[in-house]
Amino acid sequence: MSSILRTEDLRVEYRSRDLKQTVNLALKGLNLNVSAGEVFGFLGPNGAGKTTTMNVLLGYVKPTEGTAHLFDVDVREPIARQRIGYLPELTYYYKFLTVEELLRFYASLFEIPKLEAESRIDRLLKLVELEHARRQPIRTYSKGMQQRAGLAQALINNPDLLLLDEPTSGLDPLGRMKVREIIRRLKEEGKTVFFSSHELGEVETICDRVAILHQGELKVEGRVDDLMARYHCNLEQVFLKVVEYQPQP
Amino acid sequence: MLALLFGESRQLFANHFFVKADISFHSGYYPSIFDEARQAEENDNDVSHPDEKEEPKSEGGFLGPPTDWIDRFGRHFRPTLHTHLQGGNIREILPWLRISAELDPHRIEAYTVASYWMRKHLGKVDEAEQFLREGLRANPDSYELLFELGNLYYDNRHDAGRARNVWLAALRLWQKQESGKGMPDNYSLDQITVHLAHLEEQEGNLDRAVEYLEMAKRVSPAPLQLQKQIDEIKQRLPRAGALSSH
Amino acid sequence: MNKILAIAGVVIKELYRRKDFYVLFVLTALITLLLGSVNFFHDDRIARYLKEICLLLIWISALVIAITTTARQIPAERENRTIFPLLAKPVTRAQVITGKFLGCWLAVAVALAVFYLFFGVISGSREHAWPVLKYFQALWLQWTMLAVVIALVLFGSVIFTSPAENVTICFFAVLGILLLGGHLNTVALGQKEPARTMLYTLYFLIPHLEWFDVRDIIIYDWPRIPWLDCLLATLYAAVYVVVFLFAAWLVFRRKVLAT
Repeated sequence: MSSILRTEDLRVEYRSRDLKQTVNLALKGLNLNVSAGEVFGFLGPNGAGKTTTMNVLLGYVKPTEGTAHLFDVDVREPIARQRIGYLPELTYYYKFLTVEELLRFYASLFEIPKLEAESRIDRLLKLVELEHARRQPIRTYSKGMQQRAGLAQALINNPDLLLLDEPTSGLDPLGRMKVREIIRRLKEEGKTVFFSSHELGEVETICDRVAILHQGELKVEGRVDDLMARYHCNLEQVFLKVVEYQPQP
Repeated sequence: MLALLFGESRQLFANHFFVKADISFHSGYYPSIFDEARQAEENDNDVSHPDEKEEPKSEGGFLGPPTDWIDRFGRHFRPTLHTHLQGGNIREILPWLRISAELDPHRIEAYTVASYWMRKHLGKVDEAEQFLREGLRANPDSYELLFELGNLYYDNRHDAGRARNVWLAALRLWQKQESGKGMPDNYSLDQITVHLAHLEEQEGNLDRAVEYLEMAKRVSPAPLQLQKQIDEIKQRLPRAGALSSH
Repeated sequence: MNKILAIAGVVIKELYRRKDFYVLFVLTALITLLLGSVNFFHDDRIARYLKEICLLLIWISALVIAITTTARQIPAERENRTIFPLLAKPVTRAQVITGKFLGCWLAVAVALAVFYLFFGVISGSREHAWPVLKYFQALWLQWTMLAVVIALVLFGSVIFTSPAENVTICFFAVLGILLLGGHLNTVALGQKEPARTMLYTLYFLIPHLEWFDVRDIIIYDWPRIPWLDCLLATLYAAVYVVVFLFAAWLVFRRKVLAT
């Protein structure tokens, strides 16, 4: 299978702004390879480097060393983002726009022809069940509705790769189920999904492969079934072993 | 209301609006403080024609010749010709004078200048009189306002009697306020007395006219001209005196 | 270009969905109408003072709209984190800067058109004359000047973290240029070295925004400015716009944006 997402010896250093210029190593030579059609879970405790990896993949942060490619295009090239959809952990959208206007705006950034964009907007609003609120400003939406609007914007360009950052965080059980259903449907359509999550049960049921990151290093990578077989436990226990969790006596 | 809004700063604003009237009179062609400072410096340095300091001699009026391309090109976007408002257009200065007087009711020039243009060029004699009376209510001891009111009675109402009374009142106020001063307002005295002299001459009271002209001569910047007038009137006096003795 | 226009479109929508513009327009209209209703010596043909006040209010309002709208663009994108989904699309940072500039500039054009229409009605009702071309010239020059201001503020918004700081600094800079910029050469003449050279350098470096203030031409009915001069002034402004936008892009492209 062809590689959709690839990082090679990715290293990211943050320098503090004080006089000491303390160096904080966020990623220590990360190597990742995600193939087409996979649902890839990206796990790790807080501060492990998941968000930094996402930031590099989206071109927000330049790696100190190493490279990152999407569809064999360096992530620093804007064209690398032509075929991806990104859903941030929290909803960051122009609250004075309606969801319809927001989707139209993002569609124009992908240079999708107007007619095609309109039909996609209709289809997506139906998919995320926001048809009834399409002309309401986003600021009037509940958190769940905003997350669904976010999902719709991530899908506006019919992406081949979806980068989802904690897609179900803060959602009620119904909302989570809905998002999971959508991810499954995307998988059936042959889309590649790369998502970070703390919900290990969710990852276990949806993902084909996972990678566990700890303190900027890739600790484990493999198929979910293989990992569970190798460690003789469920994914949550695998995770705890990998991050060397010591319960308090 | 204005006093409450602006407080003591209203005099500053009043001055600004009075200048605004002058800017309007010159259709926006007006020196900035920087132009005035430069012009003053140029005049100080130029000792060749000390009597002509009032008139800017350099190219481009107070602006002087352009110093660089920015200055030269910038002049294409603003008034650069010295003109004065003509005819009915003079009305455009009135709002600024009115606002100036509202902000500082003791700014006498606002009343006198507005009255002058209204009665002389706009045919607004009633409005001018009303405005002057407003000024007099706020400044009952102002000989300038009384002098301008006298002008209005004499020139526009053709009422010599009232004009005389008002000018005499102005003269009395001048004498009361200014005569003891080290640097009295001689210009106003010159104006009042010359006008009184003219009125009395017209009314046939030549001796009084001479009396006023003698007063004016003592403070006038052009005493020779006044002396000439006095001599002319005096030539007519003996005949008048002879007639009266008969 | 479509992407730049799309970003500009969002800026315009934001402006007319906020209350700033409406408040400023209503204030301008109210003050002008109030002063227009004042009776000055029973003369209803007095027009220039009303034109002067109305144009002054238009200038202040347009500056406030341009500076405040522009100053919050990039900082608000970062603060509300809308910059992240935006840059996750195939959009370059140069396109973001250009789109924001264009959006603010076009938004100001809409505001100016409304203001000048009101001004035209007010002055026309007094003077019974419609020097449309002269008004268009004044509007065009003001809009051109605002392009420089917007580019300057956009540059400021990628340097200063707080929009309030940026607004204050840019407002004073613009007012300073408008009031003193054209006199710096005169002031320089009266100075000793090195102040003289410094002032002259500043004089040649700053954009001479005061050129674009042709209110006196309109108020006092001076003849129209030659179109060639308008064109040259527009080109002069364009140079400064390019310089400021390029500087803004240079800073913005190096900004680390971490979620």
